[in-house]
Amino acid sequence: MPLFETIGLGGEKTAVVIDIGTSYTKLGFAGECGPRAIIPSEVKRQQTGKVVRLEDYYNTNQDELFAVLVEFLHQMYFRYLLINPKDRRVLIAESVLVPTNFRDTLAKVLFRHFEVPSVMFAPSHMLTLLTLGINTALVMDVGYADTLVLPIYEGVAVLGAWQSLPLGGRAIHKRLESLLLAESTVATEGGTELPLSSIVGTVKEEILEDIKVRTCFVCSMERSRKVQDAAMAQLGLIDPSQAGQPPTPPPSVEFPLDGAKILKINGSIRESATEVLFEQDNELQSVATLILDAIIKSPIDTRKELAENLVVTGGTALLPGFLHRLMQELNSLRQSPKYSSKLAFGSFKIHTPPAQPNCVPWLGGAIFAATEALASHSFTKDIQYEGPHIPDWCSLNNKDFFTEGVVEKTPVSLPTLRKTLEAIKSSTGLGAKGGKESGKESGKGSAATTVKLETSGESTT
Amino acid sequence: MESIQRVGAAGMLENHRVLYKCKDYRLPLCELYFCRHCLKLRSKDCVSHEVDSHYCPNCMENMPSAEAKLKKNRCANCFDCPSCKHTLSTRATSVLVPSADDPNKAVAKKAYYLACAFCRWTSRDIGLKDQSVASGGWEEQENPNAQRISELVEYYKQVAQKEKSDRERKKYAKSRIRLLGMSGKYASQSARRHASLTSMQNLRISAPDADMSLLKEEEQKLVKITPNMAVEEVEGLPEDIYTTPINLAHKGSAQASTGTVTSIAQRLSQPDEQPTLTNKLYPIHKHLLVKRSLRCKECEHNLSKPEFNPASIKFKIQLVALHYVPELRILSIPNLYHLKESVVLLSLINPLEEMTNVTLLGCEEGDPEDIDSTAKIVLPSQELILSARDDAAEYDEGDNVMDFKDDPEVVIFRKANKISFVVKVTPMKAVGDVKIAFKMKYNYKNITTPLGSKEEKETPMVVLEHHVDVNLGQVIPS
Repeated sequence: MPLFETIGLGGEKTAVVIDIGTSYTKLGFAGECGPRAIIPSEVKRQQTGKVVRLEDYYNTNQDELFAVLVEFLHQMYFRYLLINPKDRRVLIAESVLVPTNFRDTLAKVLFRHFEVPSVMFAPSHMLTLLTLGINTALVMDVGYADTLVLPIYEGVAVLGAWQSLPLGGRAIHKRLESLLLAESTVATEGGTELPLSSIVGTVKEEILEDIKVRTCFVCSMERSRKVQDAAMAQLGLIDPSQAGQPPTPPPSVEFPLDGAKILKINGSIRESATEVLFEQDNELQSVATLILDAIIKSPIDTRKELAENLVVTGGTALLPGFLHRLMQELNSLRQSPKYSSKLAFGSFKIHTPPAQPNCVPWLGGAIFAATEALASHSFTKDIQYEGPHIPDWCSLNNKDFFTEGVVEKTPVSLPTLRKTLEAIKSSTGLGAKGGKESGKESGKGSAATTVKLETSGESTT
Repeated sequence: MESIQRVGAAGMLENHRVLYKCKDYRLPLCELYFCRHCLKLRSKDCVSHEVDSHYCPNCMENMPSAEAKLKKNRCANCFDCPSCKHTLSTRATSVLVPSADDPNKAVAKKAYYLACAFCRWTSRDIGLKDQSVASGGWEEQENPNAQRISELVEYYKQVAQKEKSDRERKKYAKSRIRLLGMSGKYASQSARRHASLTSMQNLRISAPDADMSLLKEEEQKLVKITPNMAVEEVEGLPEDIYTTPINLAHKGSAQASTGTVTSIAQRLSQPDEQPTLTNKLYPIHKHLLVKRSLRCKECEHNLSKPEFNPASIKFKIQLVALHYVPELRILSIPNLYHLKESVVLLSLINPLEEMTNVTLLGCEEGDPEDIDSTAKIVLPSQELILSARDDAAEYDEGDNVMDFKDDPEVVIFRKANKISFVVKVTPMKAVGDVKIAFKMKYNYKNITTPLGSKEEKETPMVVLEHHVDVNLGQVIPS
C-alpha cells in the first residue's frame, strides 16, 4: 500500500514526524498508525562517550545544543528511520512552552546540517485534536517535566486560559526516591537487611523509572482519603476515632537492584508515590485543579463544551488508574466551595484517542503530515533566515486548517507568553533541574507558573 | 625510562594528540576525509550522509530500499527477543500428531518455535502456535486502531484539499479584479496564462448557479467522519490490584499464566501496543541497518561509498585523509621543563605514490587559527623530502636508500616513505599541557582531470597547506 501511495503523490516521499519530549522522543512517518520507535531523548556524545540528555541543553549556548542535536538527529535518521534527510519534509510536534532557543537551534540543525526541504513546528495540543476528529477540546498533556492544560475551542487555542504545574514523571520520581530512602530496606547476599539510605545517597533515574512503571499505580480517591486521614490521626491532627481504619497497604514488592541486592518496596510506597500529582499544594493546586482553572479562565459560553471534551495525553497518563482518579477528583472538586459557584455545567466527559496516551500528539502529527496542508504550513530554508527567530505557529498566516476557514486572532502572542514564563522561571530558579519539586512545595512554583497572563496579553494585542 | 613511557604512538592509540584543522573542527587525521576535487579536508560534519543500502545485521541479506520501506525497515525472517532484545533462534522439535490414515495412531511431526538463548524466552510462553516450516509464517500484530486512523487520514486529506482549492479560488478572484484595472501587455499575458490554467473556473464564474451546485456536489462528496465520543465514566482499577502480589524476578513463576509486569524498555519496543504484561510480548522483527555513503557538501562528489554486499567491509570509493595527506606522528617526547628548550622527535609518513616536499611553517603572531599553543618552537628550516610510498618496500631487506643529503642535525632517520626529524620546543606556560601549532605545506599531484580538458596530459602539481595542532603532554614546572 505505501508503495502505491508514494507513486500517487508524484514522487514526494512521506514526511518524517518527530515528537521530542523531555524524556522520550517519538519518531516515525506520516500517515502511519504509530511511531516507528520511541527512544529516550538522550544521546551518547562521540567525543566524550558520555550519555547526555537533550533537556540539559535546552538553555545552554547554541553551539553546544547544535552539536548535541546533530548527533541525536543523526542517530534518528540513520539508526531508526534509515532514510536520506534531504528527501523528506519534517513535522515537529512541540509543546507550546518549548524554549525559543531550542526550536531555533533545531531548525538550524535541520536546515543547515541535514538540509531538509522544509520544517513545520506544530503545537502538540492542536495535533491531539486531529486524532479525535473534533474541533473543541480541553487538552491536558501530563509529561515528564510538567503538566500543561490548554483549551482549544473551534480550532483556536484559548491561550489566555493555559495552566501549567511542574507535576509529571519527574515529580513522581522525586517523591518515590524520598519515600524509598526513608522507608525501604535492601536485603544483601548475607541475608542482612539494611536501610536503603545507608547504601546509597540517591537512586538512579532509570531505577526510579523502572520501579514506577512496574510497581506503582494511582489508587482511587476514597482509598487515598482514608490513607490521608489515618496519617493525620497518627500525627495527632485529627481525632483517631473519626479517621477510621486505614486500608491494608498493597503487597510489598521485591525489586532486584543487581545480582546480590534486593530492594524491598513497601506496599504503601506503591500507591503513595503517585499521590504527588493530586495532593493540593499551598496554593491548593493539583493536576485536577489545572483543568478546572483552565475552564474558569475560558470564555463563559465555551465552558460546557470544553468540560465535555477532555483529552489527556502524555506518558504519565499511562499510570494505571490515572484517568479514573482524575475524573473522581474533578467531580469531587466541582462540589467544593471554591468552584461550585463558578462552574454550572452538566458533567465532565473524557475522550479515548486511538493510540496510547504518549503517542497521541505524534499520531496527530502523522495525520496532519499526510495531507497536502503540510507543504503550505511549513517553513522552507529561505523563510527561516528572514528573521532572528522562527515565527511561532500562532503568527502563521495559514491557520485555517484547524478552523476550517474561521481565522481568529489569538488573545496572547506566544513569544510574549514564553518570554514571561522564561523570565519567571529564571528568577525563581525553577528552570534549573530538580528545582521544580522544591519550588512547588514552598508554594512559589505554582504561583509563578500560573501567573496571570492577561497583563501580557493586553500589551501585545 | 620515563621518556620511553611517554612515547606515544600518536597515530594508533593516542590519536587525539595530533589534530588537523578542518573548518571549525580540529580532528585526528584518521577521522578526516580528503576531497580530491576541492582539495580540502572534510570532517563528518561537513559531508552529507546518505543511505546507500539496507541489510539485516543477522542474516546479512541485502534488502532493496523499496522492499525495506514496505516492510518498515525490518527483516522478514529474523526476530529479536521481546524480553531482552537478543536475537531469537528457531528451534526444531517433534510433536506427536494423530496420523492422517489412522486416527488412533500417532506420528511424529516436526514443529518449530522461536527461543531466546539468552533469557530463555520462547514463543510458546505467549501461546504462539508452533510452525510446521522453519522459515516461519508467524502471525503479525495489527494495530487495533488502524482502521479508525486511516479514516481520519482520509478525512483530513479532504479537508486540506478543500482548503487548498478554496484558497486558489480566492486567489483567482483577486487576480481577476486586479486584471480589470490593469492594461497593456502584462495584463493580456497573464490573462492568457490564467485562461489556459483555469478554463474550468471561468465557466463556473460565468454561470453562478452552476457553480453553486458544483460546490454542493463537492460538499456531498466529502467523507464525513464520526467525531470521537467522550465518556463520563472511566473504568477504575480492578480491586485485586490492592491485594495481588507482583513478582518481578520470575521466581516460582506464580504468574506464569498471566505474565509478569514488563519494563519500560520492553513496552516501548512495541510502540503500538505497549503491553504491560509479558504474555503480550510478541517477537519483534529485526531492525535493518544501513550502509552509508558520504558526499562532499560543496562539490557533491562522493567521498566514501561502500561495496554493495553487506558482508563486505571494502569500499568502492574511499577518500580518507590518511591516503592523501602526510601523516604527522609524535615519536618521542623528553621531559618538558618550563622555559627550557627540549628536543622533540616527530615523524612524517607520505601516503602518496609521488615524492613530496613538506615545509613546516610556524604560526605568525595573531594567527586566528592558532588558538591555544603554549610553547615556542623551532621548526626545520629546509624542506623535508619524503619519498613515495611503495608497498613492496616493506618487504625489501635491501638497503637501497637514495641519498637525500639530509642535515643529520634535523633528520634523524629515514626509511622508505617515513622520516623522523627534530623540533625544538620551549614551553612558555608553567602549568598545563604543552601545545604547539604550525602549518604544513606539501606538494600534491592533482590527479583528477577536470571534464573537457582531455588533451592536457600533464597533471598539475599544487601546494596544499594544513594547520596542525600537537599536544605534547604535561609541562614539568622547573
